[in-house]
Amino acid sequence: MDLIISLVINGLATGMLIFLLAAGLTLIFGLMSVLNFAHGGLFIWGAYTGVWVYQMSNSFILGIIAGIIIGLLLGLVTERLIVRPVYGNHIQQILITLGFMLVLQEMIKVVFGPDQKAVFPPEYLAGSFMIGDIVLIKYRLFIIVIGLLIFILATIILKKSRIGLIVRAGVMDKEMVQSLGINIKLVFMLVFMVGAGLAALSGVFHSIYSGVIYAEMGLEFSILAFIVVVIGGMGSFSGSLFAAILVGLAQAFMAYYVPALSLAVNMLLMVIVLIFRPQGLFQVKE
Amino acid sequence: MNLRHVDKSTWIYLAASLLLLLVPFIVTGRSMQFIFIQIFIFAIFAMSYDILLGFTGIISFGHVMFFGIGAYSTAIVMSRLDSTIGSFLLGVVIAVILASIVSFIVGVLTLRLKKHFYAMLTLALAGLFLVAAEKWRSLTGGNDGFTFRLPEIFRDSQNMYMLCLVSLVLIFFGLRRFTKSPFGRVLMSIRENENRTESLGYKVVHYKVIASVVAGVVASFAGVLYALSLRFVNTGVFATDLTIDVLLMTIIGGVGTLVGPILGAGLVEFAHHWLSGLADVHWIFERWIILYGTIYILVVIFFPLGIVGTIQSKFTNRPLRGLRDNRKANEKKGRRAS
Repeated sequence: MDLIISLVINGLATGMLIFLLAAGLTLIFGLMSVLNFAHGGLFIWGAYTGVWVYQMSNSFILGIIAGIIIGLLLGLVTERLIVRPVYGNHIQQILITLGFMLVLQEMIKVVFGPDQKAVFPPEYLAGSFMIGDIVLIKYRLFIIVIGLLIFILATIILKKSRIGLIVRAGVMDKEMVQSLGINIKLVFMLVFMVGAGLAALSGVFHSIYSGVIYAEMGLEFSILAFIVVVIGGMGSFSGSLFAAILVGLAQAFMAYYVPALSLAVNMLLMVIVLIFRPQGLFQVKE
Repeated sequence: MNLRHVDKSTWIYLAASLLLLLVPFIVTGRSMQFIFIQIFIFAIFAMSYDILLGFTGIISFGHVMFFGIGAYSTAIVMSRLDSTIGSFLLGVVIAVILASIVSFIVGVLTLRLKKHFYAMLTLALAGLFLVAAEKWRSLTGGNDGFTFRLPEIFRDSQNMYMLCLVSLVLIFFGLRRFTKSPFGRVLMSIRENENRTESLGYKVVHYKVIASVVAGVVASFAGVLYALSLRFVNTGVFATDLTIDVLLMTIIGGVGTLVGPILGAGLVEFAHHWLSGLADVHWIFERWIILYGTIYILVVIFFPLGIVGTIQSKFTNRPLRGLRDNRKANEKKGRRAS
């Protein structure tokens, strides 16, 4: 029983981290029809910068803030220099964002060195609670709580605020939104930046969760996010939370019982969804 | 055969192949010959990739899985059996059969999807093959890989050179025939406008699946030669980096042409060799991928036709489409008309 609970908590925490990465990906795709293959690069930059500031200042909060800031900035750069020149052309977008991913990944090695780095949680998040026989690791609970908070906050913004209304309308029909006199390009940029910030935040959290960071982590982890986006449905925010938790749980249980197959089970999940419901479980538009 | 009906460009390509045939007699250094061998192998790999990207308009980020299948099947057969020509041929046959089965299954499952999904799915599938090669230690030797012995005749670097060059020339002319055939024309029309091709009565998915099988088989053959040239194989043959390398070769050389990928392979391999040599001068050259990535991004934005495509469109005044995706514009026109 305690094993199952700890596996569920592992799965939920992984799921939340994937969700933070996939949320930006899915919103950017829904709004701009851009599949951002460079998202993993933003994730890894968030992780390295956040860890660097955290280890320098000894304050985890500062690390998180630094990670988010670098994510927002890189999001701005990516949108302006990489995505905008090839807007409206799918082939070029896919190719160019993958190229930028490569550049971001190698830049990490230039700036921070090519070696793996170990990361430890701050004191107040290290250790665990004991409830009866069940061990609850503090940091994992922290990730789950933060992930849920961000989901709730983002949902409120999307559903209740004016900017959220514009974003949701843009996902459905951007020409219409534009003809109502709204500067859709500005909205694109904002969404891209927020998505990049979330990816960077996910990177900061993930660095402590896994205890080690390395440059290739971005591409590896973003494959999970792609799987989540496909399962949840491109452009669906709540769909990506559901799918992320599904993938996280599948990952955690398989990693314990059949470690060799932990990536395979998620691939299988994706293939099944693609065959029977190619638009994803929660698709918002055709 | 009446020679007057042979295309003028065919003679140019044949002359170029003859020139390349002379190279090993002039350049006798083993390391230089090795670079040429690598160029020929990657040229084959990049041409197979261009069948998908340039001729059919499909983006695959997992093309390396067929390359890896080829490399591993030859290496495994050669190391288990004796090192004769017979086991080499057996390895090739197994590679081709495996690659066609895998590419057929992957194609049938995923080619109905939109471009984005296909790109993501192939990226993930190639990741799966990499993991499988790492975990299935009894067969693949895991991350460390294993060496194997070559048949007597291929141990000489000059013979290896000839083998790769002849394969390149044969595959080049074969694929050229393939792309100029009615079948190849249908593939190009799929690239230009998939919906219209469908409404003309062509089963688009069938054509795409066959294109991906052809590309997969040719890529697996490139993998076979790669394993032979190194006499060694490890999980590196499934690495995404290789896919990105051939992507770069194809795009720099020119998508939608067959000479482009060959030229691109030459440029990239030489640049790679030269820049790695500079690593002793300054450590920044060890990170030459940054330079690659930057060039690649600039080419995609400013020269979407690549070198060969740009030259061709200058000389023939025929607007080649390259990477430009006009479907969106067509859709909009259609919407307005209706």
